[in-house]
Amino acid sequence: MLRMGKNDHAAVQAVLRGDKEAYGALVVRHSPRLFRVAFRITGNEADADDVVQDALLRGYRKLEGFQAKADFGTWIYRIAVNCALDRIKQRKRDDVGRVAEGSDPEQDEVQAADSAAGPERLVLSGEMGALQAAALRSLTADERTAFVLRHLENRSIEEIAAALGIAPNPAKQSVFRAVQKLRTRLALLRVKI
Amino acid sequence: MSHWTEEEQIEHYYEPSETSPAAREHLESCPQCAHRSAALEQDLAEFRETYTPFRDELYGEQVWQRLAPQLPQYNVAQKRRWGATAWWQVLSYAAVSALLLLGAFHAGRQWEKRQQPPNPVAKTAPAPAVKEHLVVVVLSDHLDRSERLLVELKHADGDSEQMASPIRDEARSLLAANRVLNRDAAETKDPALKTALNHLDRLLAQLADEPGGLNTGTIARLQHEMNAEGLLFEVRVLRSRISDEQSARPRTGGTI
Repeated sequence: MLRMGKNDHAAVQAVLRGDKEAYGALVVRHSPRLFRVAFRITGNEADADDVVQDALLRGYRKLEGFQAKADFGTWIYRIAVNCALDRIKQRKRDDVGRVAEGSDPEQDEVQAADSAAGPERLVLSGEMGALQAAALRSLTADERTAFVLRHLENRSIEEIAAALGIAPNPAKQSVFRAVQKLRTRLALLRVKI
Repeated sequence: MSHWTEEEQIEHYYEPSETSPAAREHLESCPQCAHRSAALEQDLAEFRETYTPFRDELYGEQVWQRLAPQLPQYNVAQKRRWGATAWWQVLSYAAVSALLLLGAFHAGRQWEKRQQPPNPVAKTAPAPAVKEHLVVVVLSDHLDRSERLLVELKHADGDSEQMASPIRDEARSLLAANRVLNRDAAETKDPALKTALNHLDRLLAQLADEPGGLNTGTIARLQHEMNAEGLLFEVRVLRSRISDEQSARPRTGGTI
């Protein structure tokens, strides 16, 4: 039975005292928010589900290192951002690897075309959402994460820097580059339409 | 004042309060900058409307149901015992341990000196620590690839050969490595690893050698088996643990 009345701090202390069930309250409370940011970064529902689970598992394993003064929500959110970042980096590596392996060139070509979602195909589908998704996919993992955190999650540059483990200035540059690339990409796609 | 750069416009869009009064004044009086600023706002507004699936607290309950069986309980009894132990007892244990360690080191050095000249083959063989590290790295990579395969299987529909064929190829590639690691695991005292590799072996063998290939029915059956055994989660927990162990190890000067 989950105890929803407990605050995060009390729940963390209870888990560390051996009450495993207390972690359930934290999972229930924070999962929807973690899913939202994971989905925005990965752009994929199944990946976002996996990221949530992975982040909460990592959080549990590292709970002893969690500083009592810190906010659990912020802490687990950062872990989820890192998991999501790892996931999209892995995806990009896989895509490159599959094309490079070239076991079946014809099939690889089809896969590469699908993952890139070329402008012609998007024009046919006529969906602006698809255009945005394609534009977001053209960003690097760091740029995409920085943009999502800044634009959709309304995080400050300092928070983005902390989540990405970089200094504020590179974090700011990642946001700039992301916006510039997205605008260029959108302009190109609009011309095609 | 000169026209705004794109970076200044972006910064103003996200942090208008940080814009200097002079820059703000320029924006208000310069039609070119005002136009460019409006265009930026319009472009960025389109990205505010991206679709995000909604998840409520029921979702959290589902996550917890999947997560709970995999979490070990924090054991505080042992910590309390250590906390209650007097400091002088701890120091005594530490001193005795240090003496034993020194004695063992000295005895080892003496024994080494009495040995024959070292065998050149032995010199080239990797040190046990390096070998162990290598095994951990290989295992971590294997679990990582297996996890990705299971995720793909979880979301496969089997209707398209385009999806089924890479799964089958990857399963064949993983099967041989899994059998080698499974054999090694049988010699270790790690029941979780042995169980997971056994489950994985069964599933990979079916994926790789299913007569008639992978069709919708086969994939549905394998998905069911995978879910019933909680295999994806089992692999994910192991991968996470091995990865933690790997990162906790001191680096060996770039030997791998």
